[in-house]
Amino acid sequence: MGRLRAKGKAGAAKAYVTRTSAIKKLQCSLADFRRLCILKGIFPREPRSRKRANKGSSAPTSFYYAKDIAYLAHEPVLKKLREHKAFAKKLSRALGRGEWSDAKNLEDNKPVYRIDHIIKERYPTFIDAVRDIDDALCMVFLFASLPSNARLPPSLIENCSRLAAEWQLYVMHTRALRKTFLSIKGIYYQAEVMDQTVTWLVPYQFTQSIPADVDVRVMLTFLELYQTLLGFVFFKLYTDCSLVYPPPLDVKKDEGGAGVGAFSLQNASQPAPAVAPKPQAVEIDGRKISGKDVRQAIKTMTGADSEINGDVDMQTAESNPMEVDEEFVPQQSTSDPQSTSSLTTLKALTALPQSLTTSLFSPYTLYLSRETPRSIFEFIVRSFGGRIGWPASSGSGSPIDESDESITHVIIDRPLVERTDETPEERERRSRRKYVQPQWVVDCINAGKILLEEPYAQGHTLPPHLSPFGEYEGAYDPTVGLTGQTAEESESEDEDVVLPDEEEAEDGEQVAEKSALRAAAAANDTASLRAAELAAEVAGVDYGTFEKEVRKSRKKSKAPAKDDAEEGEQDMNKMMMSNKQKKLYERMKYSEKKKASERATLAGKKQQLEKQKKRESKAG
Amino acid sequence: MAALPRSKKRKQSSEDVVAAVEAPAFSAPVQSLEMLSDDEGPEETASDDGQVDEFPEIDGASDSEEEALGDDEDEEDEDEETDKEDFEEADSDDSLDRDIFPKPKTIISDITGQPKRVYPEIEPDYDSDSSTEDTQNRVGDVPMHWYDDLPHVGYDMDGKKVLRPARGDELDKFLSTVEDPSAWTSAFDKTAQMDRPLSAEELDIIRRLYANEVPDAGYNPYEPMTEWFTGKGKEEIMPLSAAPEPKRRWVPSKWEKQKVMKIVRAIRQGRIISSKPKTASKLDFYSIWSEPSTSHAPPLPAPKPRLPTNSESYNPPEEYLPSEAERAEWEALDPEDRERDYLPTKHSALRLVPAYDRFIKERFSRQLDLYLAPRIQRVKLNIDPSTLIPKLPSPQSLKPFPNYKSLKFTHSSRARCISISPDGAWVISGDEGGVVSLWEVNVGREVKRWKFEGKIGALEWCPRLDVSYFVVGVEETLHFVIPPNVPSSIFLLTQSLLAPATLPPAPETPSPVKWVTPPTSSWSPDTAILTVHLPPSSGLPKQITWHRRGDYMASVSSGGTQGGVWMHQITRRHSQAPFKKIRGAVQLVLFHPLKPHFFVATQQYVRIYNLSEQKLLKTLTPGIKWISSMDVHPSGDHLIVGGYDRKLCWFDLELSDKPYKILRYHTRAIRSLAFHPTYPLFASSSDDGAIQVFHSRVYNDLMTDPLIVPLKILRGHTVKDGLGVLQVRWCARQPWLVSGGADGTVGLWCS
Repeated sequence: MGRLRAKGKAGAAKAYVTRTSAIKKLQCSLADFRRLCILKGIFPREPRSRKRANKGSSAPTSFYYAKDIAYLAHEPVLKKLREHKAFAKKLSRALGRGEWSDAKNLEDNKPVYRIDHIIKERYPTFIDAVRDIDDALCMVFLFASLPSNARLPPSLIENCSRLAAEWQLYVMHTRALRKTFLSIKGIYYQAEVMDQTVTWLVPYQFTQSIPADVDVRVMLTFLELYQTLLGFVFFKLYTDCSLVYPPPLDVKKDEGGAGVGAFSLQNASQPAPAVAPKPQAVEIDGRKISGKDVRQAIKTMTGADSEINGDVDMQTAESNPMEVDEEFVPQQSTSDPQSTSSLTTLKALTALPQSLTTSLFSPYTLYLSRETPRSIFEFIVRSFGGRIGWPASSGSGSPIDESDESITHVIIDRPLVERTDETPEERERRSRRKYVQPQWVVDCINAGKILLEEPYAQGHTLPPHLSPFGEYEGAYDPTVGLTGQTAEESESEDEDVVLPDEEEAEDGEQVAEKSALRAAAAANDTASLRAAELAAEVAGVDYGTFEKEVRKSRKKSKAPAKDDAEEGEQDMNKMMMSNKQKKLYERMKYSEKKKASERATLAGKKQQLEKQKKRESKAG
Repeated sequence: MAALPRSKKRKQSSEDVVAAVEAPAFSAPVQSLEMLSDDEGPEETASDDGQVDEFPEIDGASDSEEEALGDDEDEEDEDEETDKEDFEEADSDDSLDRDIFPKPKTIISDITGQPKRVYPEIEPDYDSDSSTEDTQNRVGDVPMHWYDDLPHVGYDMDGKKVLRPARGDELDKFLSTVEDPSAWTSAFDKTAQMDRPLSAEELDIIRRLYANEVPDAGYNPYEPMTEWFTGKGKEEIMPLSAAPEPKRRWVPSKWEKQKVMKIVRAIRQGRIISSKPKTASKLDFYSIWSEPSTSHAPPLPAPKPRLPTNSESYNPPEEYLPSEAERAEWEALDPEDRERDYLPTKHSALRLVPAYDRFIKERFSRQLDLYLAPRIQRVKLNIDPSTLIPKLPSPQSLKPFPNYKSLKFTHSSRARCISISPDGAWVISGDEGGVVSLWEVNVGREVKRWKFEGKIGALEWCPRLDVSYFVVGVEETLHFVIPPNVPSSIFLLTQSLLAPATLPPAPETPSPVKWVTPPTSSWSPDTAILTVHLPPSSGLPKQITWHRRGDYMASVSSGGTQGGVWMHQITRRHSQAPFKKIRGAVQLVLFHPLKPHFFVATQQYVRIYNLSEQKLLKTLTPGIKWISSMDVHPSGDHLIVGGYDRKLCWFDLELSDKPYKILRYHTRAIRSLAFHPTYPLFASSSDDGAIQVFHSRVYNDLMTDPLIVPLKILRGHTVKDGLGVLQVRWCARQPWLVSGGADGTVGLWCS
């Protein structure tokens, strides 16, 4: 007999701790524990036996690995959180006593935690970090579009929008964007960075409001982690491209609504032009600087550090506005007029190397109509090497004017309206340009080639927009039309549908014909087939229809007969499966059947729709 | 002493005052009236002033000693003044007196009969001290609850009772508040016990209190300050005291200096560090991945959310759009039960796509998933489900086995039991009506029919080939019957066996089982040649089973002691109960085909006894709730047990007490099981009306597991009253199966 073992000293009882006991062990509040879990990426585990892990109780609790909690106990952030608790106590006491200077002093020395070590710990290599930035990007893009309120300080929103712009700049610079999908939830983008596919979702540009049943604290904690993570990732990405991080922001452009264009990418090897021409820039401003101005400036400088940065950025941006554009948009010397047609006609172009598809729009210059969302299409078009312009109402910083001669496409999302007061010049311009709906741009990049503009022209009903990400294997494919066989079947079905109407008018001879055909359908062996053939001949059915009927009936009868025998055998063999296998088999069969039924319903619907369309076209 | 004469003088003057006060009481009222009318204006004010100033003066007589310390001259002046004023006052008091003391009338009281003075009613006019209040109740400042139980609330000035004013109920009160426009500015007067409208002054006071002002309207809190000691020309230039100014006023503090020096020293020594200059709290980013990482394995990356499919498009193909029914179904589901969290919608243009209202909610739920949901790493099975089905030889290669129904024999009621002769040519089948039919296997012709009293519980043909008879179990008896058309040699041998001329000696111990042979003269082929009477109240014999030699036979009855199991020896015409007592209700018994072993199936267990050693060998636990049937393989090493809970257990007796294989394929209870004596086949029948035929190959070496292959499901019996096929039996030499069903048919299934 082995050594006696006390209960709860080894195994699952030791390896798992409940959340309550974890909090007790860490001596922190639940909110702090939650924050730590979010930052450290610790999540509950499902023990194999809940009862064994919870000392015999089967109460619903969440379990954590005891080792995870032991690691948390040594976390510097936990120490800082405890310090913060003490600080909060001191501060509230000082405020209660009305000791304002003490309170201010305390506030100045507020404990602040850093989470860079956590980033390093969670993502030991850069690839790990890049693989995991999907959620971070989604959050940052979401918060960049939120209005600031008491819970969301403007600085947070600003930082989020800065990070979002930096990511877009990087993707545009490296031409990393691969796929885009306009969904009802927002716009999905997929980029390939460091051989990792990064997918993120950007909401449409509407004011979002945080619903009441969403815990903002949780979201903000995640956002805190994500901001830091993205900061480090972007730093590495930018420096690897030998760019300066953070890219300087042009405040004046930003205020003008330039969006991504307000940032300028700088090569790290070039000396930053911001520092040198400082006095010069002041002169360019064309203002005389009096002592008063200086004093005022000093006052503002002491007020906020950021304004200093803003000043500097403004000067840098002004010094090289054109360079920025050239960095992003390599100008194609000549756009081959033939290339368009060849691209659209050749289907084999889908298999082209990536390098060509990333510069898909490089021969074109696009112009955005004012109702199309600029941020989306500027990003997409510039990531694929195109030049793009927009009206001033969509924000400042458009590199081209509407009257620019080089514009080849106008992205327009308005219904077609006949204009009477068109000048000949405008008409001429209109005829030269192609007016397409926004979906054309997205479908082009998903297809990897320039599609024909005709179906996407202004005012046309758009072809369906499909997901570029694909579905599971064997899913219903909407692009595949009804195959020949099914088409034939449906045709014959159509005939069947029509037949009853004719039948009423037909006389007895026709009825005999029918019965002969039916006999043919029923005939199985050669003798009966022969008899049926004779009967058909007597009835006056021509040989072609007879053959067709026979073929159809054979197809129908043969396949199920064979299947039946096999299936019966299989069914019997299922008896010999163990219970576990049987359950697994049932599950797999269930999911298979579900997928098949899904596919069948979609195909059925499509068939129905097509029939309806045909009928309408016949009627119309 | 100046004080004494002064006090005397004072006394005197006070006496004067008294005299003066008293004097006018007797003066003519006419005169005083005149005086009043004469100097209304100046006199009035003077007298008022006099009154206000006067009273302290009069009272002050007692504390004059205090003031005596002051200057006497002043006092005397004042005295003179007071004297003067006293006179004046005396004049003015005349009028007062008249008001305070009105003349009483003397009347005869009609109650006492005594004369009594009645004063005239006081006209509360402007002069009267109670002019501001018109209250009648003069009860004073007493708690009003003293009057709670009384009809009056106090007394008026004349000592008359002031009756409690009528107060309506709450409804009246409410109505009065509605009707009376001044109701909201009236308050309950305790002394009058009624609501009184507040006066303008009172309302003003209330307003002031609300506005946090001084309640007194006449009080001016911002009166100009009278500067007594400051201001122009009033500066005090002379010091208040002659003490010299202390040094601390102009020498810096030594202690302060020490304290400062202490701090200075501490700063110099570095004990006090000045607060760091505020750095930008923003985290500056650096190349965090430039240093090599620790050896820790990175945590598993969180699973990525599923990528969007075509149905999520803003402009999906039309077939993706939900129909009305699908939409209603989606909306009826709880949000957590929905397969997709959105309904596909189609927008004709991008500009028409609205904001997605659950965007933040979905982001939030993703985060909850990230930090609250347990994660399990699952191996994704990417296999074809058909590979899970075991590969078994095709039934076509395992022929012969019964395939189709070739004959049908019909009973009038449920065909409960069947038996096939050991040569395989004859079938006897018994039904619940007590009819036993003998018919040929090949053609299904009924040869003979017997009728017994009550249900037929069991039928079994003796396995011996040199004799030919069968046993029929009916209510508490076993009948031994010789079939007709047997060869005479066999018939004679059978007759001598069952009804010998000389009976074997009776056993020593008397048995409750009686063996009765009817006299030879009365015997006919229609009756039993031998009858065994089981003990009374033992019930219907459920099962009869033969030992392979055909000498011993065991019967199981539904009731009775000793589990209802009886072992009968034909040659010795003797029966005995093998068990004195047995745990559980015995369902079935079986003889081992080769060894002297005996299988007993109780409700849940199968026990194996060694009959020669008289001991329990092992107990098998099939895990069946209620065993219904059992059969042993002809080799004796394998046993199949079926239960009413649809399970079939295959036991390898060499291997374990636990089943080697458990099969559950019938949809209803298993009724009967049978191994074929020569072919590798077994069959099971069930209440679902199906018979399942299996190939069961048993190998001689211990290493190879028995091969069980399902061959055929025979359907042909109809389910009646929830009962299907009640018994199946194999023909001894052919792969043919005979089955008896609850529908009264007995079927023969041929290959």
